[in-house]
Parts: sequence; C-alpha cells; structure tokens
Amino acid sequence: MTGSLAPETRRAASIDVKDLVVRYGTVTAVRGVSFSVAAGEHLTLLGPSGCGKTTTLRAIAGLEKPTAGEIRIDGAVVYESRSRVQVPPERRGLSMVFQSYAIWPHMTVFDNVAYGLRVRREPESTISERVGWALGLVQMGELAGRSASKLSGGQQQRVALARAFVFSPSVLLFDEPLSNLDAKLRAEMRIELKELQRQLGITSVYVTHDLEEALAISDRIIVMRNGVIEQIGTPGEIYDLPRSAFVADFVGSANLIRGRRRPELDGDGLIVLETPGGALIHGVAHGRRADPEAVFSVRTVHLQLSSKRPASARNVWPARVRSRVFQGDFTQYHLDWDGRRLVLRCVTSEPVAEGTELFLSVDPRHCVLLEEESPPVVGSPPP
Amino acid sequence: MARSARDGSWRPGPVLVSLVVGGAAAVLVLYPIFYLIQASLSVGDPQARPPEAYGLDNYAGLPRYAHIFWNTVLVAVIATVFAIVLGFAMGWTLSRANVPGREALEQLMALPYYVTPLMGALAWSLIGSPSGGFLNHVWRALGGEGHLIDITTPYGIAWVMALFEGSVAFVMIGAVMKSMDPALEEASQVLGAGRFRTMLNITLPLVLPGVLGATIFVFAEMLGSFSAALVLGLPNRFYVVTTAMYQLVSQYPPRFPQAAAMGVSLFAVMFAMVYVYRRIISRGSYVTITGKAFRPRAMDVGRLRWILFAVCLVYLAIAVLLPVFTLLYASVQRLATVFPHLDNFTLANYVTALSLDAVRSALWNSLLLGCATSILGVLLMGFLSWLIYRSRLPGAGVIEYLLMFPQAVPRLVFAFGMLWAWLVFPIPIYGTLWLLLIAYLTVFLPLGVRTISGVMLQIDRTLEESAQMCGAGWGYRLRTVTMPLLRPGLIAAALLLFIASVRELGASILLMGPKAKVITPAIVESWFSTSTELTAAMALLQTLAVAVALALLFAVARRALRPVGE
Repeated sequence: MTGSLAPETRRAASIDVKDLVVRYGTVTAVRGVSFSVAAGEHLTLLGPSGCGKTTTLRAIAGLEKPTAGEIRIDGAVVYESRSRVQVPPERRGLSMVFQSYAIWPHMTVFDNVAYGLRVRREPESTISERVGWALGLVQMGELAGRSASKLSGGQQQRVALARAFVFSPSVLLFDEPLSNLDAKLRAEMRIELKELQRQLGITSVYVTHDLEEALAISDRIIVMRNGVIEQIGTPGEIYDLPRSAFVADFVGSANLIRGRRRPELDGDGLIVLETPGGALIHGVAHGRRADPEAVFSVRTVHLQLSSKRPASARNVWPARVRSRVFQGDFTQYHLDWDGRRLVLRCVTSEPVAEGTELFLSVDPRHCVLLEEESPPVVGSPPP
Repeated sequence: MARSARDGSWRPGPVLVSLVVGGAAAVLVLYPIFYLIQASLSVGDPQARPPEAYGLDNYAGLPRYAHIFWNTVLVAVIATVFAIVLGFAMGWTLSRANVPGREALEQLMALPYYVTPLMGALAWSLIGSPSGGFLNHVWRALGGEGHLIDITTPYGIAWVMALFEGSVAFVMIGAVMKSMDPALEEASQVLGAGRFRTMLNITLPLVLPGVLGATIFVFAEMLGSFSAALVLGLPNRFYVVTTAMYQLVSQYPPRFPQAAAMGVSLFAVMFAMVYVYRRIISRGSYVTITGKAFRPRAMDVGRLRWILFAVCLVYLAIAVLLPVFTLLYASVQRLATVFPHLDNFTLANYVTALSLDAVRSALWNSLLLGCATSILGVLLMGFLSWLIYRSRLPGAGVIEYLLMFPQAVPRLVFAFGMLWAWLVFPIPIYGTLWLLLIAYLTVFLPLGVRTISGVMLQIDRTLEESAQMCGAGWGYRLRTVTMPLLRPGLIAAALLLFIASVRELGASILLMGPKAKVITPAIVESWFSTSTELTAAMALLQTLAVAVALALLFAVARRALRPVGE
C-alpha cells in the first residue's frame, strides 16, 4: 500500500452548501443547512436516523433534488434554486460509496471497478493499470476475475471503495459504508479507510450514525438533528465541548446536571452551579454565556469513585452505588447522588458491591457548561 | 468531464425519449377508447363515420338487453365464487399444509392457465354437451335418461371459466399466504390458541385483503371473458355482454353504436373494479408483507394431507389432463364418439389441418406476430416500466394510470374501439397484420409492464445510482446496468407476450382481415363451420407450435441468462 504508484490524481475540490432545504411532499428532511468543506478535508455528518444527514449527502451528489439553497463544488454552482441550475450527478465529478455497496452482480470485480474508467473512455491499457492499482490498495488484487455475486460483505465493501476512487474523483461521498459489516470487521475497515483517505488526499464527506467511526476518521464533524446542524467542530471539540444536551448525549454518554448559578463562588476560571439538592459543582464555561439556570455535561467516564475522600476540595461528594452492570471492557455503575441518579463508567477492576457508600469526584475541567437551555433530553443516559 | 454551472439544469435525453414513448403509449391506449365512446354516442346512420349526430339513445336502449347483463353477472359471480374457493383451498394447502410433493404441485398449478379458456371450452363441449357429449353418452349407455350434465348452461360456462381462472386465483392468494410472517401464527399458538382458532383469528383476517383483491380481480376478468361464452353459449343463443357485442358487430347490418354502448358500460363497471382492486393493493393493507421471503413452516395436518393431496391432483386432472386428452381423443377419430372403434381412428384430421393453406398461413402469421409482439413489446414495456418506477420524471404517474385502461377493458371491447379508430386512420393498415400487432402491443401493455416491473422493483435503486456516480449518463446506465439486471424479467415478459399473442382471441377476432388470418380465430371459425374433429386437431397443433416455439426461446434464454464469471 504505497501512494507512489498512484496515477496523477485530480486536485481535491472544496464544497460549499448554503441554506439547503430538502422537502418531500409535506415532510422537510433538511431545513436550511449551511457548511463548507475545504479541499482535501474529511468531513463527517453525524446524527441519528432521520436527522437529514443522508439527504444532505445525496443532495450534494445530485441524487436528491433540493427544494431551496445552493451547492457549489470547487466554486462552480451545481445546484441553485433561484436560477434553477441542477447539474445531473454524472456530471458533477463526484463519486460515492453506498450503504448497500451497490456492487453490480452481473459483472466481475474487475468490470465493477473499471466502470468509471470505461465511462470516461480511457484506453484499455490505462484501465487495467489503474484497476490493478485500486484493487491493490484495497487488498483485492487476487480477486479481480471473480464474479461480484460471489463476494462476502467485506469484500464487496472493498470493491465498492476501489470503484469509487479509481477514476480520481474530486470528492468522495460515503453513505454509511460500514454499517452493514459486523462489529469486528467494521473496526478494521475504519482504520483502513482512514489510511486510504490520507493516501488519496481526496475531499470526503462521510455520513454515519456511529460515533466511534466519526471520531476516528474525520477532520471535522457536523452533528445534525431534525434537519438542522447542532454543532460543527473537530472530533475533540465535539467530544469535549458539546454545545447542547443533544450533542452531549448523542456523542458518547453523558450526565446532564442542572443547577442555579452561584456567581459569587466563581473563581480560578471556573463557574459554580448549585443543584436542587444543594450540591455545588465547579465547571468550565469556555466563554459561553451562563443563564441563571444552567446545565453541565459530565461524561460518564470522567466521574471517579473512591473509598477514601480525595484530597481535592472541589467536586467531591458522597454517593451510594445503586446497581452495577458488568459490560466487559468497562463496568457501569448507577449511583444515587444528590437525590437523583448518575451513571458512571470505569475500567473494570475491583468491583464495588451494590449498596456501598463511597466518594464521587470529578475534575472541574470535565464539567462543561452547555451553551443553550435545551429542552430536557427524553430518556435517561444509556443503560 | 466538464463541470460548468450552466450545462443541463435538466436532462434533455431521458425527458425527450420519455415524452415520445410515454406519448406513444398514451396514444395506443386512448385513441381506441376515444373512438369507442364516440361510436357509442352516434345516433345517426349506424354505418356513418364520423357520426352524423350525437346523443344518448344507445344507452337509453340498453335496458332492452337487461337479460344479457344479467347473464354476464350470473356467469361471472358463479365462476368467481368457484375460482376463489378453489384458489384459496389450493393456496392454503400448498403454502401451509405438509402435503406431499408440494413444491412440485405448486409448479404444476400454473398449467391450467396454459390450457386456455378456448381449449377448455372446446374440450368440455365434447365432454358435456347435452346430446353428443361423451359423458352423456356414457350416462345413456348405462341406462340413464336424457343427459347427466349440460355444459351449455350458465353453470357449465362458469365451470369452464373457473377451472381456468382458479389457477390465477391460486397464484394471487398463494403469494399472499406465503408473504405472511409465520411468527404471527406461532405467536398465537404460543399464547395458547389452538390451530383452528389461530386460523380463524389470525390467518384469515391477515390474508383477507389479499383474498378480496384477488376476488375483485378475478370477477373483473370474468365480466370481460369471451371465449368460453362464445363456444358454449352461441349455439344456444345464450349471450353475455362480450358475445352479444360480437354478434351485434358481425351480423348484417352491423349495429356498431349499440355494441359500443354495451362495451362502454362494461368498461365503466370493470374500470371501477380495477380501481378498487388497486386501492386495496396500494393502501398497503398487506400488513403481512414485510419484504422478506418466508418459507412458512408447513403445518402438520395429519391424515388430512392425503385428502388435500388428492384434491390438488383431481383439480389438475380435470383442468388439464381431461381437456387435453379429450381433444386428443377426438382429433384422431373420424367421428368423435366416446366408445372407441378401431376403424374410426384416423390421422386424416391432422393431414387436413396441415394441408389447408388457410390453417398453415394462419399458424405462420400467428407465430410471426408472436415474435414481433414479444420483441417490440419487451422494448416498449421495459422502457415504460423504467419510466414509471425509476426515472422520477414528472408524468410517470400519469402513464402508470393510463396503463390501467387495457386491464380494465375487455380485449374484445378494446378491439372494437381499434376497429373504428384504425378504419379512419390515414395509413391503410386495416385488415393487415400490422393492425393486429398494434392491438396486441396495446392490450398486453399491463401484462408486460407488470412482469418487468416486478423484477425492476427488486433491483436496488442504488445499483443504478452508483453507475450515475461513476459518471455514466442515462443511456449508458440503462445499457450496462439496468438492462442486464432486468434480463430475467425481460425474458419472462417476452415468453408471456409470445404465448398471449399467439392465443389471443378477443382482440384478434374483430381485427383480423380475410387475407391476414391468425390461428385462434381460425380455430373458432372451424368450430362453427367445419367438423369438431378437425378443430380439435387444429387446437392441438396450435398448442404444439407454441410449445416448440417456447422450448426454442427457453433454450436461447437459458444461454442468455447464464451468469458471468463462470
């Protein structure tokens, strides 16, 4: 897997989406979405099913006709509602990997991958050279002559990938390409995909509902919900500084702790909330404006249990273990704290018996003020 | 790959072609219907074209034919009830009970469909006509009085139609039964309900919409059916709407306007029924259909399975073997009689049939038309399927709606419209095979589109979209991805179109010219004007020719279907 054999690739293109609206009949799937993808950047649209991420991707591809807005690829308008420009997908110079792989069962692996090159009327010698190169990159070189209907899911995935990048598109679109694979294969492919992306240097837009996938392969993540963007940021920003209760909860599991502001106790760059039960929590605002009533997001992995009282004076409280769920790599504890329930996850070590009274602590850096007063999140943190 | 902001805000290619093909389909369908309605409103000289005056007199005169409408409904109701009971029993048996050899039986159940109503009627006329019927011969030989059965009564006609249509009902109801998740029944049994109670409370309500749909569909078909009523009813002056129309048109002087008014009335009723049928299907009352293919575990019905097995065999024997062997038996006799005499056997009928120029050319014309219809039909109907279900072009819905028309119009009625329409057409195709070709392409539109779109809907849309993302334009896509994937559906459609057009009676009988005969109407003519034995030989020759042509087509198709990479 070396990039030196790669034929000259097309210059990566940028994408600009402005005020995109997609409506099907009475349902509005995407309601005014704007973002840009820089040339060579790997952007992920993340969100639960029905949030409009796939529709947005398909609108960029041209497979979905938007209702309003504007889409530019490398500065050229491919869709604009006002001037009624709608460049068909095949003339946008993009490529796409589908969730279903969409491998043509009536062709061989070679013919599948060669398709985009044949469409472009490349000479046969170029075709066999480039198909060989692409299949080599996805480690499918030996299976070129096999009928595509005789491939496993993972192999189909690789062929779909090779087919998508072999003709050097300016942008690669991914529509949940790993969601049909089993968990182990998915984790492997995630790493391969990332390596491939870096080697090819193509601009990519990736759609997934899988947080780990998004964190692993993206330069930037857009979290979507109900057809609008909730937050845009690097994987680190999204994870560490969720903007809203939705993002905090969707991007990994988090406890949301609501309280009244106590400005007179603020100091050392920290702000303080007092819970209804009277506990004081120190946390960080990151320049966000705090309402008199505010919410901290605390990741379940950042909470710590100890039998002795920790030395720190801040964010240490007594708590009681209500139940314990062993989950292999980690153990999840449900705690009674301050008259409510908290969820804590830690690496499995000495199990703590249910009913034990302990000390709970959390570093104030990990108590993140949420930007806005979101409606209460339905349901509790994941079990 | 020039990417400019200007080029192609809309694709001219597919739009233009769709407009042309969709427009052609619309003309094919609507042009004859327009003339049918025009003819029904003509109140001047019945022979005048275009009509001298318009009015509703022809409709006002319809009550005179009340008994004919009553006959039609009577025959259709009896036949529908019988066909649905048959189809339901077989459908349940072969998809749910552990009957021995049910896979094989399921395949065989399609056979009655290939024994057309015409062949059934010819055979049953030999078996059950009151004076000369074989069965009544035996009855009298055994000392019986008069006759045991009379196939020329409404019940007899309904019986022949039901034997044929039972196969259709079986396919429709069997599909519903099979698409039902067996877990739904198992859940009921786990909760303590017995087998019978489960059937009553769970199975029946779940398959009811499907059965209702099949009932309406079969009833509509029965209302418009023609051959059985023609062969069995005409000598007796027992008319249904279609045969009455045929009589009004072929008598001298022909009474076109009255026939047209009758046809329009039938059309209106059937159109309403097909509409209701489609509403039932599309409303998704099929909660049972989840898109997964289940092979429901067969229920152990104990000793009953042998009885059910016997019922299936008896049906096949009566609907397939009996008619075919009766015709075969009659065709090798000088004078058809039930009791064999050695000196009565002869092959002369076959010699005669093959030596008659009229028969030979009719058979040849039919095979020629069959090939032309299947080739042109597959192209036209394949494109229409793509247009309706895949192109996402505006107007696709309208075309889907248009294709309902030929399904709702009895083929004879449709042919009547075409008769009028093409008589005034500037290009002289009336009386030639071209007119029949156009007629077949029109009346078989629903058949072909249904067959092809069934396969098309199973092809995941992303298979085409990924070709698009690779940069392929619509024509290239159609050629390299859609068409090859559709091949099984296209071949099935070609075979069906071939069989259907070689055996078509209703559309052919009115449009056939004296110099361009086709085989099926020729068989009917022979039945009414020459000998029974010769007709039987002709009917079997037609079947043989179809079988040989099919075997050839099938061999070609098998080669074409062989998957790549092997």
